[in-house]
Amino acid sequence: MLSIIPFFQWCDNTRISLAIRDSRIAFPIIENFHLFALTVLLGSLVVLTLRQFGLVYKTQPISEVAHALRPWNRWSLAVMLVSGILLFLSEAMKCYGNTSFRVKMLFLFAALLFQFTIYNRTVATEDNSAPIGGKIAAAVALCLWFGVGLAGRGIGFLG
Amino acid sequence: MSILSTCQWLQDTYIGTSIRESIWVFPIIETIHVLALSISVGLLLVSDLRLMGYIMKRRPVSEVYEQIKPWMFTGFAIMTVTGVFLFWCQAVKAYNSIFFKTKVVLLVLAAINAIAFERGIYRKVDKWDNALVPPMEARVAGWASLIMWAAIITCGRTMAYTF
Repeated sequence: MLSIIPFFQWCDNTRISLAIRDSRIAFPIIENFHLFALTVLLGSLVVLTLRQFGLVYKTQPISEVAHALRPWNRWSLAVMLVSGILLFLSEAMKCYGNTSFRVKMLFLFAALLFQFTIYNRTVATEDNSAPIGGKIAAAVALCLWFGVGLAGRGIGFLG
Repeated sequence: MSILSTCQWLQDTYIGTSIRESIWVFPIIETIHVLALSISVGLLLVSDLRLMGYIMKRRPVSEVYEQIKPWMFTGFAIMTVTGVFLFWCQAVKAYNSIFFKTKVVLLVLAAINAIAFERGIYRKVDKWDNALVPPMEARVAGWASLIMWAAIITCGRTMAYTF
């Protein structure tokens, strides 16, 4: 079976990886932006979920709330991915042996897949109230994204 | 008793020592503190953006703000409780950290900004509730709030690197 270790080794040795490792402040700065993006990404998702459960902004159609939050959701996701890739490059070999990192990647792929195939489509059809299926989809999306955050913290704490 | 010796006493209490020396409790509290950012600052972002005139412009400011407020306060309550416990178990390190001191000053300023907004321009919200872009005083309050909270997050994160 083809091993993925050479890929991680390659990631660990790119010019960007070395530059981030050589700098004392690059990693903290990138991680700070990763944290800002987490706040916005999860925050926008929490607001939308609250709306789908009928707990806030009941006078606004769900699709309207989703539309207002969409740019914030998308941009924070972009910042999240770019900063996340940079953080990964700077410590790819450490990530390779890290169980939390593997769990995080599983959650990340599941969250992205679920959001862009099922969740966004259910939201687009919801007007004044979300059907039970829409509420379940919202809860699943929220749990998957919080799972990404939870496992992300685990990378530092648990290994 | 000096502040430093109070900090020393605090982290030597049974609760302070227990949290610090446990394998699980500290990471759990810290993780809740970080993820609750989405409920506190994440929701604050929405109301601040409305004040700045960038989001949900066709909806009254008071509606965008008031409906989200109880949830936002729940988020800030979680942040405060977990934050107090994190401080409790490493009070001396926090006391010696310039980032922690800056964070506390900024938290006080953010609170003053929020109170000044509520007691100031927001009292007359009836007059500008439907404005696509709220008056200058409200926009400044929104900007100030977001900038300060970004700085608070930065101080909190940086503090942990220096411990």
